[in-house]
Amino acid sequence: MTLEFWQEEFETLEKKDLQQLQLERLNKTIESACRSLFYGELYSKKKIKPGVIKDISQITELPFTTKQDLRDNFPYGFLSLPKKDIIRLHSSSGTTGNPTVIFHNRHDLDSWANLMARSLFCAGVRDTDVFQNICGYGLFTGGLGFQYGIETLGALSIPAGAGNSLRQIKLMRDYGTTAAHAIPSYLGRLYEVFEAEGLDPKKDTQLKTLVIGAEPHTDAQRKRIEEMYGVRAFNSFGLSEMNGPGVAFECTHQNGLHIWEDSYLVEIIDPETLQPVPDGEYGELVMTTLDREAMPLIRYRTRDITRIIPGECECGRTHRRIDRITGRSDDMFIIKGCNVFPMQIEGVLMKIPEVGSDYMINLETMNGADEMVVEVEVKSDWFRGDIKRLDSLSKTITRQIRDEVLAKPIVKLVEAGSIPKSEGKAIRVTDNRKNGLLN
Amino acid sequence: MAYEVSIFLENKIGHFERITSVLKEAQINIRSMAINDTANGWGILNLIVNDPKKAKKALSEKGVSVALRKVIALEMRDEAGGLDDLLMEVARAEVNFDNAVGRVITETQKAILILNVDDYAESIKKLKKQGVQIIDDQTVYGTSQ
Repeated sequence: MTLEFWQEEFETLEKKDLQQLQLERLNKTIESACRSLFYGELYSKKKIKPGVIKDISQITELPFTTKQDLRDNFPYGFLSLPKKDIIRLHSSSGTTGNPTVIFHNRHDLDSWANLMARSLFCAGVRDTDVFQNICGYGLFTGGLGFQYGIETLGALSIPAGAGNSLRQIKLMRDYGTTAAHAIPSYLGRLYEVFEAEGLDPKKDTQLKTLVIGAEPHTDAQRKRIEEMYGVRAFNSFGLSEMNGPGVAFECTHQNGLHIWEDSYLVEIIDPETLQPVPDGEYGELVMTTLDREAMPLIRYRTRDITRIIPGECECGRTHRRIDRITGRSDDMFIIKGCNVFPMQIEGVLMKIPEVGSDYMINLETMNGADEMVVEVEVKSDWFRGDIKRLDSLSKTITRQIRDEVLAKPIVKLVEAGSIPKSEGKAIRVTDNRKNGLLN
Repeated sequence: MAYEVSIFLENKIGHFERITSVLKEAQINIRSMAINDTANGWGILNLIVNDPKKAKKALSEKGVSVALRKVIALEMRDEAGGLDDLLMEVARAEVNFDNAVGRVITETQKAILILNVDDYAESIKKLKKQGVQIIDDQTVYGTSQ
């Protein structure tokens, strides 16, 4: 088998050359970061100056950056360039708290598009492919992030957007889609629509590659998807703070995700002691942007739990591989591709006077799709025995939660006192989702 | 003015029994009952009991979501066409109701229709004007029995 690369000169760099490149880029990043309000103040207080890093291992001397820092310095506190140079932003939801917003200049968008193209290429996508991006466009990075990557790679892009399964199937059949990107839970639902239409994606489409991401999933789930569609499915990892998709990607060996170390400095730390853990051990992924000009982030705590897979990959790429994400070091969960913090839901509920103080969020697999079931107590003294009022309360809660977290919940009103009272750290979320789809 | 006891009830095993056991302990006699179910896993249990206030107090003390709602009790004949004739009168009075429950009074040839209306005062006025007989609380609750 001949080895093929999108950018061989970067993808196959020897370790010491890669580290040299990282060192140069890190110092440039620190220099650029110092121009932002946040890092300017923080680094001058800690007497950190550009050029201070002589060896890449000294990264551990720099302070961490957290999501809270991003929120506290909303919207422009992390900008390293004047606003006139900025050409795009992507942002999380967050109608109650400050959203997480990331800004890009032209260089950043080009760099991101290139990493995305490199990622797709490494999973076997070529310019001969017809690539359907089944993903929400707009502030969500999965839409435009893939779009630019597909175009940079040179494949024919179909910016299909999210949802509307019948239309997705029609697009696939009309244009002979060979590759597609979607969140794994959606592919289960889409398969049911194929079945309901009397179609078999294995025979009735030309799909051969699926890219799945934006939602943690197991290898078993991937295998199900591969069997359902008769394709190879590749795991895509990204987070909006690090641009979005295109941060780490599986190659055709499907054995861990190559994390692009020329653009990101990767650390795995113990979330309790904050000390680095050796390769192979699980911990929290900490990342530093090495090729972002508008908004560099240094030692950003992603909260994602993973590990570095020791050893080299047969594909010839020297960039290390991370394992699939196994969890979070905070209480965030992902449903329908949306990042959700239980506190966001609590924030919505506590503003509704009819709602009691106890609630439960149960993540369930129902009819092949993952659903967020929110159990809410109705305050006894608000109860008037009126069914219409309760129905409208239920609809109000559903709408407000959806507006906040972008994923539509199933709201269940329950009897007052039926949810265990919170004592100290209450368990608010149960995850009963099946490993695979269609169970 | 008569009251029904409305209770928020989840559609789960044992939840209805929890209500009836509280009422049993409080020595409440249930005269009629109706459950309005929704598709969302809960419903409203409406009860006519011999002592609505006592029932509410007993249930509230157990943490049950319970409310007293004003209802209108109308008399009808306990024979074929009795309900139809009464509803005709109610319609002529232009009174709309959300839900209704009927009950026979065994010792007479009469029956009661209990209505839940949006605008209690206005509905009473309309029914009186139409000459529809409104039954006194004693008969509704059956406390004389």
